Amino acid sequence: MIPPFEYKTPKTLQEACDLLWDYKERAKVIAGGTDLVIALRNESLRPEVLIDITHIPELRMMRVENGMIFIGGGITHSEIASSPLIHQYGKVLSDAVSEIGSPQIRNIGTIGGNIVNASPAGDSIPPLLVLDAFATVVSIEGKKEVSLIHLFESPYKTTLKPYEILLNVQFKKLPSRMRTGFVRLARREGMAIARMSVAIALDLESGGNRINEIRIAVGAITPTPQRMSEAEEFLKGRLPDEESLQKASFLISDAMIKRSGIRPSTSYKRPVIEALFKRAVRQALEGER
Amino acid sequence: MIRFLLNGKEVQVEIPPHWTLLRLLREGLGLTGTKEGCGIGECGACTVLLDGKPVNSCLVLAPKVEGKEVQTIEGMGSRASLHPLQKSFIEHGAIQCGFCTPGMLMASKALLDRNPQPTREEIKEAISGNLCRCTGYQQIIEAIEAVKK
Repeated sequence: MIPPFEYKTPKTLQEACDLLWDYKERAKVIAGGTDLVIALRNESLRPEVLIDITHIPELRMMRVENGMIFIGGGITHSEIASSPLIHQYGKVLSDAVSEIGSPQIRNIGTIGGNIVNASPAGDSIPPLLVLDAFATVVSIEGKKEVSLIHLFESPYKTTLKPYEILLNVQFKKLPSRMRTGFVRLARREGMAIARMSVAIALDLESGGNRINEIRIAVGAITPTPQRMSEAEEFLKGRLPDEESLQKASFLISDAMIKRSGIRPSTSYKRPVIEALFKRAVRQALEGER
Repeated sequence: MIRFLLNGKEVQVEIPPHWTLLRLLREGLGLTGTKEGCGIGECGACTVLLDGKPVNSCLVLAPKVEGKEVQTIEGMGSRASLHPLQKSFIEHGAIQCGFCTPGMLMASKALLDRNPQPTREEIKEAISGNLCRCTGYQQIIEAIEAVKK
């Protein structure tokens, strides 16, 4: 059962950072708690203190500023999924988080928690990667911005120090000419962890149909989230026709194998990730701008 | 000391911070209508409404409800006067063993409170976090569909 702890609810960021500095590894930050409470319950974590950051205004804001979208770490998946702002300027993210868990989980789980939990299957991450997102990290040492991809060290491990808080994620408003797609495969339609996912952001040249830029991130199939740079480079300047997409999909499955090794599931996953990629591109091409 | 609104009434309880809301309700307050199915947020049997939104009470630590509004199945209708959803569940055979029912009712109440005319797809989405081992879900969906505001 859940081992006892003290529960603190700082009202300011400064208070939270001070508390974390005092307690360091003896404390754990809690936002929604959908991952944390399970870890407490099976006693894989036994913190002395929980620091609830959901009463800190900076963690609970979602705003636009100078063409950048800021999402506080304490914003729930439901809030993102139903946000007109994110629908307009970061739809790939709202599409992805709307498939996390269940309505109940989405109502309390947060984007900050999803990132910091650093599951290889974390659904908010591939979309954030194709949005070229940054994370703002705060602590008693100050504030710094880190490219989101650099936060992930290994499965379930970020580069954050025990006294650091993920304050928010930020990304440039996706221009309307960039189309996005997100495809997720899981054992069930709902309440199931992603087995494989693909997030795409695509920019076609205005005159013809060639790919100006494509951003591809895969989920759940690599130890840490990654962009598929080989496929991205290959597709630059090409038409998104069957042949090019096929070749690009092979580059993606090759990258998956290179990074994750050959596993019993590889013969299943190889053709499936190739198909999911093509499906995501089709979604981007056919979908609303 | 945790102070919150429970089914419309202000409540004060003294319980340890490591208790979940589920435990607070069942053991702290004797409200056993909310059920523990899995304890890890995967079955929805423990669903209650927190500020009107369905949540898994097994995953909400008790201190989190400070100053908030909690609605449980005990606050839905009464013996004398059932909530339309409760009547509809009975009429449509949407209750077999009854274990998932409080959670299902909470989730569907939250749906109808914000969307009184949901589509069938919206109903399925709203109960996608609630498992039922008995009915096969059809009767539950029909019961919810039948409630028109």
